[in-house]
Amino acid sequence: MLEVENIEAGYGPIRALDGVSLHVAAGELVAIIGANGAGKTTLLMAISGVVPIRSGQVRFEGRPVTGLAPHEIVRLGIGHSPEGRRIFPRLSVRENLELGGFTRSDRAEMRRDIDEVCGLFPVLGSRMGQMGGTLSGGEQQMLALGRALVGRPRLLLLDEPSLGLAPLVVAKIFEVIAGLSARGIAVVLVEQNARAALKLASRGYVLETGRITLSGSGTELAHDHRVRDAYLGEG
Amino acid sequence: MSVQFFLQQCLIGLTNGALVALVALGYTMVYGIIGLINFAHGDLIMLGACLALSLVTALGLATAGPTATWLGIALLIVACGLFCGTLNVCVDRIVYKPLRNAPKLAPLVSAIGVSFIFMNIGLFWIGPSDRSFPELLPSTNLLPGEGLQFTWKDLLVLVVVVPLMLGLSLLVKTTRLGRAMRAVSQDPTAAALVGVDVDRVIAATFFIGGALGGAASVIYGLYINTIGFQMGFQNGLYAFTAAVLGGIGSIPGAVVGGLVIGFVRSLSSAYVGERWTGAIVFAILIVILVFRPEGLLGRRTKEKV
Repeated sequence: MLEVENIEAGYGPIRALDGVSLHVAAGELVAIIGANGAGKTTLLMAISGVVPIRSGQVRFEGRPVTGLAPHEIVRLGIGHSPEGRRIFPRLSVRENLELGGFTRSDRAEMRRDIDEVCGLFPVLGSRMGQMGGTLSGGEQQMLALGRALVGRPRLLLLDEPSLGLAPLVVAKIFEVIAGLSARGIAVVLVEQNARAALKLASRGYVLETGRITLSGSGTELAHDHRVRDAYLGEG
Repeated sequence: MSVQFFLQQCLIGLTNGALVALVALGYTMVYGIIGLINFAHGDLIMLGACLALSLVTALGLATAGPTATWLGIALLIVACGLFCGTLNVCVDRIVYKPLRNAPKLAPLVSAIGVSFIFMNIGLFWIGPSDRSFPELLPSTNLLPGEGLQFTWKDLLVLVVVVPLMLGLSLLVKTTRLGRAMRAVSQDPTAAALVGVDVDRVIAATFFIGGALGGAASVIYGLYINTIGFQMGFQNGLYAFTAAVLGGIGSIPGAVVGGLVIGFVRSLSSAYVGERWTGAIVFAILIVILVFRPEGLLGRRTKEKV
């Protein structure tokens, strides 16, 4: 469904991605783990067209998307819930969710999807009129995830959905993410919580200073001694 | 110095302020969406006024009957609105868009450059001296009695400005485009990631701000009756002040700021003296900003991250 072939990308003279290749099958959950600054966020931003790709190719459902504008890539079916949540602070929860469906023209269906998101995260349903910026961090993360889901992506890029959240909220968020595959949504999950991410994922990649250094099934990686040493805190 | 005199000054302040507010909206909308103070906005309106004058002459509106005059005014507003809106979009595409990711000073200095270019175009268009804009509307008083004056011109200002402002606030609050505009102003990358075409939304904002300025240029001509190639500077400055006073980036703020400036200008001209008006307006601006740096309706704090 998604093929990333040997892409290079960066900011000015800095090359943040140095020949990254990976693939994601339909409905698959793939984790990307790596240290801070390894290029995880840049990788997702490059797939979404926010960070320009200098060389290499990204294909989605067989179609090259390299060089398309971010909004065009969203329209093809790639959703992206960015790092730091980036909900719209001075729009209401409802408006945030409706913006998630900005590319859709089927308003009645979209309303149903918004109701469904409120079913997944009841707290959002009770705060529809509140400004996004007044929500707690955990609620904002639920909103960010919900906003991405209202766009009905076939592939969802999730950047650090558990960062800085209380364990109970993290459990709730991961539970929803685990349910996405069942609904046929493929997921690329970038996480600093490597243990939880590898448990959830069918496959994973390790990104180090702009290169993929390891890849394998979730269980393989979770048992690999290099991963355990570097990312699972078991020296 | 009676109550009546005071009320008369308030009426003048209201119409003047409405006109200032209409111009201020153009500053505040562009600032709200890309954080640029568009110094060329006043001169854009000057060019709109030049077009209005050319059209009045070409259509022979000065000698037309009442129905034709009103239709002509409506046509002027539409034509100048389209002209200024389109010109504003072109300037964004050619000048500001390539500088979108450049340091803030680069587009700012470019805006000052565009302002001078517009002024030169205006100089070629209508010449160096002030031109009188024909009186198209009868100066009969619409209020009963002798005291208060409220003429067709004053009415025209309110009849044009109030619906435009209501329409704008409805557009921003309720439409898909309005929601996209607010999203882009808060976080352009996040807006792009939900599928908003950020460049198009910015272009639409430039168009709407410019079109409101185009409408203002026609009203300015009809209301003040004198236009000149340098009119953009002072009027732009007052409108920009209004936008800052109300809280730049805030649409209701621009309206409130415009009205405050209108009232202060007319009251200080009447009670203190015309030549002190500029000093008084800006002294009040400074005092307000000392106590409320974010402006009257601006946002006080950054939101939770």
